[in-house]
Amino acid sequence: MHIDLKKEIKESGPGRAGLIILLLMIAVALLAPVIAPYNPYQQSTASLLPPSWNHWLGTNQVGQDIWSRLVFGARTSLLVGFGVGILSTLLGTIFGVSAALLGGLYEKVVMRIVDAFIVIPMIIVVILISAYIRPSILTLILLLSLLSWQGGARIVRAQALSLKERGHVAAARSFGAHHFYIAWRHIVPDLGPVLLVDFIYSVRRAVFMEAGLAFLGITDPTVVSWGMMMRDALSFSYLNVWQWWLVPTGVALSLTIIGLTFVGHAAEPVIEPRLRGAEVA
Amino acid sequence: MFSKRNLVAYAIAFLFILVLNFALPRMMPGDPLMAIYGDEALIAMTPELKAQLVERFALDKPLWQQFGAYFLALFQGKLGYSYYYNAPVLSVILGRLPWTLLLVGTSLVLSTMLGIILGIESGWRRGSRTDRAMLAGLMSLNGFPDFFLGMLLLIAFGVTLGIFPLAGALTPYSGLSGLALVMDILRHLFLPVAALTLAHLANGYLLTRNTMITVLKEPYMLTAKAKGLSQRVLKYRHAGRNSMLPVVTQTGIWMGRVVTGALFVELVFAYPGVGYLTYEALLARDYPIIQGVFLMVAISVLVANFLIDLSYPKLDPRVSYAY
Repeated sequence: MHIDLKKEIKESGPGRAGLIILLLMIAVALLAPVIAPYNPYQQSTASLLPPSWNHWLGTNQVGQDIWSRLVFGARTSLLVGFGVGILSTLLGTIFGVSAALLGGLYEKVVMRIVDAFIVIPMIIVVILISAYIRPSILTLILLLSLLSWQGGARIVRAQALSLKERGHVAAARSFGAHHFYIAWRHIVPDLGPVLLVDFIYSVRRAVFMEAGLAFLGITDPTVVSWGMMMRDALSFSYLNVWQWWLVPTGVALSLTIIGLTFVGHAAEPVIEPRLRGAEVA
Repeated sequence: MFSKRNLVAYAIAFLFILVLNFALPRMMPGDPLMAIYGDEALIAMTPELKAQLVERFALDKPLWQQFGAYFLALFQGKLGYSYYYNAPVLSVILGRLPWTLLLVGTSLVLSTMLGIILGIESGWRRGSRTDRAMLAGLMSLNGFPDFFLGMLLLIAFGVTLGIFPLAGALTPYSGLSGLALVMDILRHLFLPVAALTLAHLANGYLLTRNTMITVLKEPYMLTAKAKGLSQRVLKYRHAGRNSMLPVVTQTGIWMGRVVTGALFVELVFAYPGVGYLTYEALLARDYPIIQGVFLMVAISVLVANFLIDLSYPKLDPRVSYAY
């Protein structure tokens, strides 16, 4: 793996743009209490106010400040996104690496389960489950992670299979190194870039899904989220409130996803080296 | 040859869908009948009906017998009864299905075809200004959730300009027929299809462009060029056709995405398909409908993928040697 991921992302124009957007969103999410002028759950003044100096984006149907809700919505999106990203990449690594190293029946079972889950449309499963249990943020993260590690496991396994045949791994094995030791010392460190790409795409998918589920109204109604704000705004689409209510929210959500897409795309040659030089050739 | 490996994967997927559908309502706290039938059933519930339902679902029997009863009923085409619509689930869904098929079918065909053409053109010019602009543009478009695109189109062309209708699949009580009816349906279809197509355009585009770039490096491209073939033949017949192969394998997965995308877009446009039905069912907690939709969508996506897997070796004979 002689591809420098940092260089790969920095050298691509969209990659850099994506990184900047992402860092900005993360900063907004982290500094939300500082940036937001109001408590996003507090019913401040009259409802459905147009933008003013006091309320930059006006207020919603129950008089909450839309700008403050927009800022706090970044927290929900990114929390779910990064939570699912970390957890599902972790699961993908565990199952992918162990399948590659242990082989045999275990590998067959794991890979058939992976194949099966890749064809099932995940969002339908999540909708069905959410219809019964209104998932809290934590449950949602767990649920999405359990349903989305499979793609990563497939890539990780392919990569681990080729790493396994390398000289230094064979050497370690001949010294009597244990599977776990080999995985931890020799395989996982070399998986770095592949894991990062998988991570970025998992985050992206999770941000998308959280927004979609909130838009359908089947997430925790007490937590402010972009999908939920768009759902609220849609029911007032006949008024001109969409200009400062719907559009900024949708743009924030889209920008986050675009940022992730750009970074992911710039890092993709790590998985598919044949694509290298595509931008400059 | 179709591989045993894939067959096992499909069997697992199928079983998972059935078990999930069976287990979820029964794992809920309280009366399982309530969870199976939803709030609406409470009103209709009489002791006789209750006894009849317990009997039908074998709810007084051990779990494996309950699963047996459930499985048997499914194979007889019994998806359950919706007390909200006061009709069998299957007929409620079938009544909505044509609209979704129309919406999803049109969008899938349009987005895939447009995606392939744009991908071929963009890959052919790889690295150029046009290519980079197209790549950035389509990737950005890909970042817009389909329901947001739908709302933007709705507000721009429906609310502000008033060119297209705001909701529904046809004008109610218009008494239109023949060509006028078709035009009316198309007018209602336009915005939802546009939203879905735009949101999923990048799927075909990105994949075709990627394959195009690798195909262009193949020696046979050089040979074809040396033969003095025209640009158009080189681009479409030699490079383009080979770049389309991976697209075929992915259409099944995309179908899954477009179907779920339709769910959201239908909500935005109040388009009376299966997606809007699901939304109404979620609001009314009409569990039999939600379960029925889940089962039908999941299984049709599985079947589509299965058929594509079957047909793939015919399109690319190299695959059959791989096993």
